[in-house]
Amino acid sequence: MKKLIIVALMIAVAASLQAQVTLKVLNYQQADQAGYLEDVAIWERFQTLNPDIKLEMEVLFNDPYHEKLQAYAAAGTLPDVFYVWPGARSAVIHEKKLAKDLAKLLGPDYLKNFTGAATNPKNQLGGYLVQLPQSFTYTSVMYVNVKLLKDNGFAVPKTYADLKKMVPKLKAKGIAVMMLPNKDGWPGQSCLFSTVAGRIAGDKFFDDVLAGKAKFTDKAFVDSLKVVEDLYKDGIIQRSDNAIGYGEGPGLFASGKAAIFLDGDWRTGAYITDKASGKALIDPKAQASDFALLPIVALPGEKFPGVNSAVAGTGWAVSGSIPAGSAKEEAAARLIKYLYSEEVQAIRYSTGAYVPTRLGVKATLEPLPAMLPGFYAANPKTSYVIDGVLDPAVYNVINDGLVAIGNGTKTAAVVAKEVQAAFEAWKASKK
Amino acid sequence: MRTEANARVRARGLLGSALAKAAAYLVMGTFTLMTVYPLFWLTMNSFKTTREFQVNMLGLPMDPTLENFRMAWEFGEFGKLFPNSFIYTIGTTALVIALSVLAGFAFAKIPRRVTKWIYGSFVVGILLTINTLMIPLFIEVTMLGIYNTRLAVLLVYVGAGLPIGIYLSTEYIRGIPTALVESARIDGAGYFTIFRRIILPMAAPVATTLAILQICSTWNEFALINILVSRTELKSLPLGIFKFSSSLSTDYGKQFAALVIGMAPMLLFYVAFRKQITRGVAAGAVKG
Repeated sequence: MKKLIIVALMIAVAASLQAQVTLKVLNYQQADQAGYLEDVAIWERFQTLNPDIKLEMEVLFNDPYHEKLQAYAAAGTLPDVFYVWPGARSAVIHEKKLAKDLAKLLGPDYLKNFTGAATNPKNQLGGYLVQLPQSFTYTSVMYVNVKLLKDNGFAVPKTYADLKKMVPKLKAKGIAVMMLPNKDGWPGQSCLFSTVAGRIAGDKFFDDVLAGKAKFTDKAFVDSLKVVEDLYKDGIIQRSDNAIGYGEGPGLFASGKAAIFLDGDWRTGAYITDKASGKALIDPKAQASDFALLPIVALPGEKFPGVNSAVAGTGWAVSGSIPAGSAKEEAAARLIKYLYSEEVQAIRYSTGAYVPTRLGVKATLEPLPAMLPGFYAANPKTSYVIDGVLDPAVYNVINDGLVAIGNGTKTAAVVAKEVQAAFEAWKASKK
Repeated sequence: MRTEANARVRARGLLGSALAKAAAYLVMGTFTLMTVYPLFWLTMNSFKTTREFQVNMLGLPMDPTLENFRMAWEFGEFGKLFPNSFIYTIGTTALVIALSVLAGFAFAKIPRRVTKWIYGSFVVGILLTINTLMIPLFIEVTMLGIYNTRLAVLLVYVGAGLPIGIYLSTEYIRGIPTALVESARIDGAGYFTIFRRIILPMAAPVATTLAILQICSTWNEFALINILVSRTELKSLPLGIFKFSSSLSTDYGKQFAALVIGMAPMLLFYVAFRKQITRGVAAGAVKG
């Protein structure tokens, strides 16, 4: 017993003599998101549980975050742990391989706790596990007001023709069949067109374009744009939606102005109960009984039926400049494992932040977010999200073109030509 | 007959003048509305919960709440950011005015062979955008060991403010008759005395213009401070506001409250000094 106490004391003394490891963390945190307070508590808890690690945290959000990360990367002073996007948004980290390969750092035994899509290096621009995606986001989801459809004598739509049939009756009552607030430009591309192009042109078309083997003026891409053109021409989506800001959509949908609302899976969080006011945009009981989350209906001319645009989510990365086998590397790995633990992921899941890629995470959820795992399981086939594979110089032209198509000021063929011209200009600028 | 015609002409003149007045009021009223309404809309909606905002965007708050302000203040850590904003704004403004007017005097009234080259090297700074300088500046302050210090922020802010400050001051002081300086020199006054006794009092209008420009730009600046410091204790107000800005944001109440908190000091500044601001802008706009 005495020996044991002596050994324990020696370990304690040795531990106290050991220098505290300082980890610099660049955190991405939005102060007005649901779950902000929970997020703050997550970091405080790590600090309490790990007194041998001192976190020096810098918190930024949105563009300032990316600008600062860019500056750190340029100066060669990256923080030890930072937040990274899987694609072009964090291109500098991927292309210059500034982060450690998490597949090696965390090991297969740890990574087997995550979905295959999350640990697939092909889903990241760098071609290796630069970061471990916390979520896998579906960007095109139909939020369907089943009760409103039923009250008007319609079943849940499955085809384009089903949607077209609804137009006269709902239009007469001042209800939109499908609402897509597209004043900001990107929802048209991210929440609708990525899936349309994925079903008609397919991912290989985009690979071929990038490899110089196909053009945006090819039939497959023009036909994809024509579907969007028809959605407006047939009155399924109203041209006036181009004047509705992204933030206005959920309120309008919840008040019955549309039977179907097009948005990403992240938007389920907009309808759940606000902890500050105790009110929900859609009452939880109604969420369960009157609403459904469905994929975009079958489209005319689709060659890849059932695919839906999806992209690997954001996640944490570890600086490649930390020496292998160092105490700092061990501390960074410990922080990463904590952030991806069942405990932390359950908190994020329950606050509506996302559905975790970590397997077996359980949380108490309101009905709409609780429908997401079922949605993912029923729709496993995915396609590219266009802004995840093309440069902003190209996808911004697509965004603008989709708005013009919606307004009826440009045709699909004209937009396709403009996109091809933008792509060629971008390619020339990269030489 | 003639009197009647005169009366008719006078009546037509009065009518024309009344119509012109009405048109002027209409145009000015429209512009005022375009400026004031967004501020009113923002302030009004900052008192609504997000849920209320989503279903009632244009109406007055049905159940006004101060909770958005309390939470925005707490989450944005504005208590730490406000003092820094004051330090950076006052420090930068004072230094830019002092250095610009001094340099302007030298460039305008003490010509040397190299004057135009030195002056040109300062003024060319007006053409440089902040974005092109961000990464080089970050590397520079890191190498100098002043990253994460107020000194770095003040140095960079003053450096960024000097090109336009020196340009305006030099052009303004150039308009002050050189004979005044020459007479003072003949009377035995040194350059510093001339500056203090003659130039400085006459350059007050351009100094006011510089103060207005500098206060507004420093108070609202976020691109540079974002890369110059990482500790919250050293950050300024715009970085706090940006913690709430996102196109995907769902909590508008707190976002609007944060914007109102950031906007309020500038509005108060304008209300308190509107006469001086109007006079300063008008006076600084023309040469002395």
